Amino acid sequence: MTRRKGMDRRQFVTTTGAAAAALALGPTILIKRPQKTLKIIQWSHFVPAYDTWFDKYAKDWGTQKGVEVTVDHISLADLTTRANAEVAAQQGHDLFQFLSPPGAFEPQVLDMADVVRDAERAHGPIIDLCKRATYNPVTHKWFGFSDNYVPDPGDYLKSIWTEIGMPDGPKTWEDLVTAGPQIKAKHPEIQIPIGIGMSQELDTNMATRAMLWSFDGSIQDADENVVLKSDQALEALRFGVRLYQAGMTPAVLSWNAASNNQALNARQTTYILNSISAYRTAQDNKLPVADDIFFVPALKGPRGTGRASEHVMGIYAIWKFAQSPDVAKQFLLELVTHNREAILASKLYNFPSFPGAAADASTALAQKPAAGNRWMEQQTSNDPFGSNPATKLKPIGTALQWATNIGHPGPANPAESEVFDTFVLPTMFANAVTGRMTPEQALDDAHKQVKTIFEKWRAKGLVAGGSKDKA
Amino acid sequence: MKFADREDLLGAAMLGPALAYVILLVGVPFVLAIMLSFSSATAGSLTLTWVGFHNYSTILADPIFLRALRNTAIVTIGSQVLVIVLATAAAQVFRAAFHGKRAARFVLLLPWAVPVSLAAIAWTWIFDSTFSVINWTLRVTGLLHGWLYWLGEPGLALFAIIIVQAWRIFPFATVIVLAGLSSIPQDVVEASIVDGAGFWRRLFKVELPLLLPVIAVAVLFGVVYTATDLGVVYILTGGGPANTTHVLPTLAFQRGVLGADLGQGAAIAVFLVPFLIVVAVLMLRVARRTEVGAGGIGAR
Repeated sequence: MTRRKGMDRRQFVTTTGAAAAALALGPTILIKRPQKTLKIIQWSHFVPAYDTWFDKYAKDWGTQKGVEVTVDHISLADLTTRANAEVAAQQGHDLFQFLSPPGAFEPQVLDMADVVRDAERAHGPIIDLCKRATYNPVTHKWFGFSDNYVPDPGDYLKSIWTEIGMPDGPKTWEDLVTAGPQIKAKHPEIQIPIGIGMSQELDTNMATRAMLWSFDGSIQDADENVVLKSDQALEALRFGVRLYQAGMTPAVLSWNAASNNQALNARQTTYILNSISAYRTAQDNKLPVADDIFFVPALKGPRGTGRASEHVMGIYAIWKFAQSPDVAKQFLLELVTHNREAILASKLYNFPSFPGAAADASTALAQKPAAGNRWMEQQTSNDPFGSNPATKLKPIGTALQWATNIGHPGPANPAESEVFDTFVLPTMFANAVTGRMTPEQALDDAHKQVKTIFEKWRAKGLVAGGSKDKA
Repeated sequence: MKFADREDLLGAAMLGPALAYVILLVGVPFVLAIMLSFSSATAGSLTLTWVGFHNYSTILADPIFLRALRNTAIVTIGSQVLVIVLATAAAQVFRAAFHGKRAARFVLLLPWAVPVSLAAIAWTWIFDSTFSVINWTLRVTGLLHGWLYWLGEPGLALFAIIIVQAWRIFPFATVIVLAGLSSIPQDVVEASIVDGAGFWRRLFKVELPLLLPVIAVAVLFGVVYTATDLGVVYILTGGGPANTTHVLPTLAFQRGVLGADLGQGAAIAVFLVPFLIVVAVLMLRVARRTEVGAGGIGAR
């Protein structure tokens, strides 16, 4: 008779106790960082080729400098959540890339003034819209370092717009109202003739701001006073109602950030406000619609103002608790030096925050910004990534004339960020266009919310203004 | 006497990790949430400034919060009503012997096993306002002549959320009800058949009353899962259109994490606590009633 082998209670306690102790103590033994390290976190780029380039660039840079570099990519939608987690834990990555101004995190990040200064010494000045998105004039702190921004043009289907007599696409917001019923009549199979989102997502945030600014309204003035409640904003809202009735359906109230791309590529809408990502996706997937997608700059409002928000902006922050802040700053400076490669890797999705960094390296410093802008114009006028015709991206080359920052005409501050992230403007427009509120009520409701948010951040000393807030 | 032989110490040591887990991952965050709800804390700062009941008075005056509170109740109750009906029906089906029963049970359990976020993404496509497969099917079969904007109209969007919540919880409820059915004494069922009770009478007059404590457990679990769920609403509608489908967890997330107002976000989240305490007490009571020998099904 064989005796069954087993484990008595003493053996079990000894074994499990030892295992538990090893598990508990293991990480404390292993986590010692062997050499200089740099941990980077950023979004999974809409153009995957950019991530491939960036990861290789970062690795090669690390090898060259004797730094162990790790790059983590996460979804755009997870960036804020992740940033909150890192701040709460007081540990995480050395370089954290945001895609919109991280004003709320200002107390937790290092001042990037020295990096901006060094970059400007090497490449010339940072463009104004990027400065206003990363510099707080109240605290005089650079709370982020922007290496790129992305324009937000209009994307339209040329064949459809040609049929209604506008082969070059719309030029004014009013053109959209004119076109909507005509497209509906000629193409009943197109569900949403005009695809401007009215939901709680990124693209709608940009589109509603573009509409507001082009009608000469804004959330704040240049001195950070709340001025949303204005005749101009009311005019924009009333226009939004007309636009919705002329060319949209309730589908736009439920859109997420990818919906307008999908609708355009499926020919279920003929005009959207977006970066070139929808087009590049169509190209990459060899969709026939790619050749039919063309671009227009920001549409003009009733008095000729044409403004559009930057679609996203790459802004790196370095936490106060980062373990390798100096290495991180060095990395950023050299990354900007390779801006031309980065722009091409992104297939012209990224535009330079320091135009001079896109110039040929041998150009004299004083000429660099102009040379960089010229290079961008050349690239967009003759797209090296297979556009048909190659001049298709030319309207985007004019982005500096109409693109602006969140917070325009003032700086991007924590209050503007909260208004942005809690979708106050998309909700205001959605309330008006669906008739849940009159335009006056929707504006009044949004204005009250905005004022409360601004007052909160002013109390923290991060936002100026207040004396000229509208009642 | 060695440590391994001391049952009192050994018991405490073995219970310790579980207790530490609950304290660290449930207790501490809960206390932190209450502290945050009385502060003006923001996402980018580690300082807590006491503001008393300011956050609570602010949200109570906020129509978006009141709507989220109402939606939480509507979604929770609506989905649980559906769950009871579906789980009872499914349990009746799975009680019977039929070919392919094992495969069918496996398929039934899938919604329970699939991660909520993945399932919600799939449902987002099913309910997509432009490409909805439901609309397409209804139009092809001639049952729909217009177009249903599932996630673009508040009423339809809430209905869609209820459907998804019920879909993900009913397999669990079905398993519980099935277990309950198998514990009903066979002689009681047979006696009702002998007395001439048909299927419906047997179901409503004999089985359901006996199953009530079990169904209550399933429903109470479902209530907790639904009322505290962030994923389904966040992925399906994001709280839209125009903030009309927010539930408390999504609004707390939007205000606290995305909007950086941790104090207000925490206050919204803490509003769930009294409600969940009542549910927890009910759960414990029902669980006690169903214990063998305590007057439950197995007690007789």
